[in-house]
Amino acid sequence: MERRPLIAFGVAITKADVYRRCAEPGIRRAAEADSAIYELESAGSLFRNYNLLLEHAAARDDLEALVLVHQDTEIVEPGFCEVARDALADPLVGVAGCVGAIGVRSIAWWEGSVSLASFMHRYDEYGGGDLPAFTWSWKDPPPYARIGEVDTLDGFLMVLSPWAVRTIRFDESLGALHGYDFDYCLQVRAAGRKVVTADLRAIHHHSLDLVSEPETWIEAHTRIAEKWEGRLPGVGSAPGTWKQRARRAEAERDAARLAERARRLDTDARIRVLERALEETTESISWRITAPLRRRRLGPPREAP
Amino acid sequence: MIAFATPIGEEEPYRRYTEPGIVRAAEPDSAMYPYAGVGSITRSCNIVLDAAAARDDLEALVLLHPHTELADRSFCARVREAFRDPAVAVAGAAGGAGFPSIAWWEGTVSAAPGVQRYRAHDGGELPAFGWADPRAPLGEVDAVDGALMVLSAWAVRTIRFDESLRVGHGYDIDYCRQVRAAGRKVVTADLRAIFHRELEIVEDIDLWIEGHQQVAEKWELDDGDEAAWKARARRAEAEREAARALAHGRGLAADARLLELERRMDAATGTLSWRLTAPLRQANQLRGRAAARLRRRRVQVNP
Repeated sequence: MERRPLIAFGVAITKADVYRRCAEPGIRRAAEADSAIYELESAGSLFRNYNLLLEHAAARDDLEALVLVHQDTEIVEPGFCEVARDALADPLVGVAGCVGAIGVRSIAWWEGSVSLASFMHRYDEYGGGDLPAFTWSWKDPPPYARIGEVDTLDGFLMVLSPWAVRTIRFDESLGALHGYDFDYCLQVRAAGRKVVTADLRAIHHHSLDLVSEPETWIEAHTRIAEKWEGRLPGVGSAPGTWKQRARRAEAERDAARLAERARRLDTDARIRVLERALEETTESISWRITAPLRRRRLGPPREAP
Repeated sequence: MIAFATPIGEEEPYRRYTEPGIVRAAEPDSAMYPYAGVGSITRSCNIVLDAAAARDDLEALVLLHPHTELADRSFCARVREAFRDPAVAVAGAAGGAGFPSIAWWEGTVSAAPGVQRYRAHDGGELPAFGWADPRAPLGEVDAVDGALMVLSAWAVRTIRFDESLRVGHGYDIDYCRQVRAAGRKVVTADLRAIFHRELEIVEDIDLWIEGHQQVAEKWELDDGDEAAWKARARRAEAEREAARALAHGRGLAADARLLELERRMDAATGTLSWRLTAPLRQANQLRGRAAARLRRRRVQVNP
């Protein structure tokens, strides 16, 4: 009897506790009864790990798709496999994801026009919180939100077609961590296939530090620009001579840093207002004389910290 | 004598901030040059320099931005201290060393004690130039910020602001570079002031970018070949996008910090006990207002 095609899940694990807390419950939620799950203990760079996962999956004749998730990505879409199947129904689609952008020139895909972002950023800092992206809920999406073809995806969740799994490899010469997703999508597009977004909702459990190693990120940015310049429109290119580009980019880099300083200044001012108000509240006579009342409450006290 | 000058773009901030500061800091024989701004900031400053240069008795010229308020009655003594070394031609309240562009805060920064007074978020004060992370001791730098610059008599008579830099950003850095190219020194000194500035630091970032490029073109020798410029462009484009990503991440962290404080505030003021004691606080506020009125009345009776 012919076996039904299956959707496999792959994850490279460097921190087992993060995987158990985030990716594993999501995979269990999304997987079908016959889904294969590849839990790979990290064997080097993310590029290398993902290629090992691709080798595992490529060997399966019954592969319908391979879902690659970061260990801190929790799939929450209940009908995930159906949405993934729909996304890959067009045989020209090579890879799908839940966050994608068009007009992308570099690994900083967010500098392009982001057309879909069906995820929530969950952070632990400052008591923790959630930052839902603009298509986490479709209640009030911006006019540019849409599902469809894009230039690139964010690699925290990628669904690869069997063709992609068997044909395209992550380019291990590019570095250890950054830009693997952008480069993979460019390879897929250069081979004549499509990169698409789909409503594959997930929670990305991630710190608020978005670029933890700026120097390696910068190196990857440069390498990938060099690799792709002139091969796909827009990638690695910009108007002007190299000198003009250098001047402009240096000025804009310093402007970005200046804007960040101004933002910090504004935050400091706002924090001062709130801290002063909080201090006035918790130092007030009425707050102090009612402390016994608050202590008598059942369960954990609701004192302001 | 030490002279004071401000190119006045708007009269109101001059009246409110600069003038009282000058009155506080000036000596009886000090000259004042409150000139109306004409055209660019560099043209306005040069008109002031021409006027001051004509004075035989000029010891130094204090150039103030209209939102800078001198806060120190011993300001002139501090200026003389800064210029004790005759090689010093420019002194400022804040500056940097070892930076390649008009972004002096990207270098090793030193700054005098002072405050930045702002009106946003119900108003407040922060340490002046705290945003530039001043960590170095006051002393020799490559350039100082133009909000408060003191020029020696030599500088006033010898160096002019470059009027080809028309966008109003980087003229101060350019002036300091000219001074250093002429073999003189630029220093930060203990020149205390209140900087009445809003929190955005630079109002028009596109103009600032333009100024950045103009000053770079002027000062950097074009000795790179195409390959060198290409490598530099690649690096700068990557750094620019990294800077934007880092800024975005830090913005998220700032929002998270504010959210946490708001949650704590809501938790504190949302308790039953806090709501029950609201009348007490209202009574306390009324009592405070009545006491303030009484104090004012007593002052009117016994001034």
